[in-house]
Amino acid sequence: MPQRRLFNKKFKMFKQKCLQAIWQCTALIVFAFLVAISINYLRNDSLQLFGNGSPEARLMDPSGKRLDISLSEAKKLFFQRSAVFIDARPQGDFEKGHIKGALGLPWNEVDRNFMRVTENISPDTLIITYCDGETCELSHNLAIFLLDMGFSNVRILINGWALWKENLPIESGSSTAGQG
Amino acid sequence: MDKKRKNLSRFLYYGARWILGGVFIYASYDKILHPAAFSKIIYNYQILPDVLINLTALVLPMLELIMGIFFWVGFWMPGTAILSNILLISYMGALIFNLARGLNINCGCFSTSSGSSINIASILWDAAFLVLSVYLTVAVFKSGNRHAPKQIHG
Repeated sequence: MPQRRLFNKKFKMFKQKCLQAIWQCTALIVFAFLVAISINYLRNDSLQLFGNGSPEARLMDPSGKRLDISLSEAKKLFFQRSAVFIDARPQGDFEKGHIKGALGLPWNEVDRNFMRVTENISPDTLIITYCDGETCELSHNLAIFLLDMGFSNVRILINGWALWKENLPIESGSSTAGQG
Repeated sequence: MDKKRKNLSRFLYYGARWILGGVFIYASYDKILHPAAFSKIIYNYQILPDVLINLTALVLPMLELIMGIFFWVGFWMPGTAILSNILLISYMGALIFNLARGLNINCGCFSTSSGSSINIASILWDAAFLVLSVYLTVAVFKSGNRHAPKQIHG
């Protein structure tokens, strides 16, 4: 009988803790939500609460201009020879294969290779950066960097390498790559 | 002997609280400063619907910060410990899921800067923190006050 009473007491205490945990979890989330929203509201660079997270919406320059370019448009520019393609992937990936005629400017070594790779490109040339994968950030980072460096016409081909290699001209090796 | 055990329990209890508190505060700091970068990281995990990404990028680090502070001061321990388990299990699920499907993305575990891709080590770290968190939860729930003074349970 005392054992049963002890069990009941423990069970009651456990139940009480569970209820306590539930309301505390809820209160914590609500509290965090309110603080986070308030701070975001006060920030200069506040985030849009229910923002569009699509790759197209994320690929904007700081002024809000869209930087992405479609494959068909990029293809047209490639055959017209009116754009310079720059590969933002690491050097090893570039050497294994890249868009024909593209320059290699790996994002991880951009400071070292930037001057040499871009010395023959005029600031108003249309530049198309690309990397591999829909979520790859290298081409985006490189595009923003090139804009900061004074190139006014920079676009990003999202998932460029994967799309291009399917049936468009490619080459391998490091002949046009940025070798440092 | 009993006193020794009690001291050890107390040491583990406070140790777990301080470690987890520190981890959550440290993990929240950079994400609170750079919400846009963190939202990109969440997007790359490809788990949440687009409409919830920015909201999560704002609320999650703040929740981590508050939980870290609560762990340190010992406030609302049952709720904080349970929520800590939920978060750590969710993180582990997200890491394993994306590692299994071969996504090479930034972890975003402790900072928004690139260079910390998801890997087995991130899962192991998460598992270690989860062990501490589960221990803490058990300590908080188990008969209430054996491991810690009554007032710290909030």
